[in-house]
Amino acid sequence: MEPSSCDLDEKLMHFMDQLELLEEKRASLNALIEEGWFSMSKARYSMGNKQVSSLQYASEIEPRICVHTQSLENGDVKFSTNKVTQKSNCDTKPVEDVGPQETSVRRRNRKMENTDKHQEHVQQSENQILKKCDPNPQQDPIKWFGILVPQSLKHAQSSFKQVIELSVDIASLQSAIEHSRYELWNDMHRLQIQGTD
Amino acid sequence: MAGRGKLIAVIGDEDTCTGFLLGGIGELNKNRKPNFLVVEKDTSITEIEETFKSFLARNDIGIILINQFIAEMIRHAIDAHMESIPAVLEIPSKEHPYDASKDSILRRAKGMFSAEDFR
Repeated sequence: MEPSSCDLDEKLMHFMDQLELLEEKRASLNALIEEGWFSMSKARYSMGNKQVSSLQYASEIEPRICVHTQSLENGDVKFSTNKVTQKSNCDTKPVEDVGPQETSVRRRNRKMENTDKHQEHVQQSENQILKKCDPNPQQDPIKWFGILVPQSLKHAQSSFKQVIELSVDIASLQSAIEHSRYELWNDMHRLQIQGTD
Repeated sequence: MAGRGKLIAVIGDEDTCTGFLLGGIGELNKNRKPNFLVVEKDTSITEIEETFKSFLARNDIGIILINQFIAEMIRHAIDAHMESIPAVLEIPSKEHPYDASKDSILRRAKGMFSAEDFR
């Protein structure tokens, strides 16, 4: 079916609306990113320059947010975020039992006998603690920077999480704009050929 | 891996990568290559371009975020990418604010109209 001028006008208006929306989302994204950097700078100021840098990245990282792609009937691609569920929670360290395991009263003269048992027990506890404290690749990345982090670093993390959500929206919009641009170009080209015939 | 979805990759300066990794998009393990590249002063354009092309070739990356000033260094590679997936998003950096006139997507949109088309 040949495109009419009215169809072309509608598509053009829709395309312009999409561009306007993209501009608005871009402005929000830029503002949020700047907010994130500002919070990171504040965290760096209180923690030290090297304490918030690539030196702190974990040796093994697993993503906590992924993206789902869905191809629509009209050829657009829609992106959406997907939070990855944690496999196991090894972040909480076990409470370590300190002190004698025996409930009976210790006798001073039995030192030599108990030393071997005690050493074996300490070794077992250390092995257990080492196993349970293996770094979890899917731990919250904020923990790379220490146990007690300033509020500004948490704000930075929150800002960047919003940036990620907005980036995914913008990716969907960009895909729609590319598709609209392609359709518009084809229709304009066909209309021009019609006009010359 | 198919169930969890695709990754978001980042090519950016240290602050940009740190921020997005804080947000939870990073992947790095012994078997797979990382989904991010921290671009420093001594990072070559070849390395940036190779990393970008490797991200394009991977089927588990859905979006690539790249600082616009880095995108300018490999503009020819970005302009050559016409597929919907992965989507390439240019983002500002601390020293270089976002410039819409340099964005590949917007330049393509702007370039399709000329004065003749509106007669």
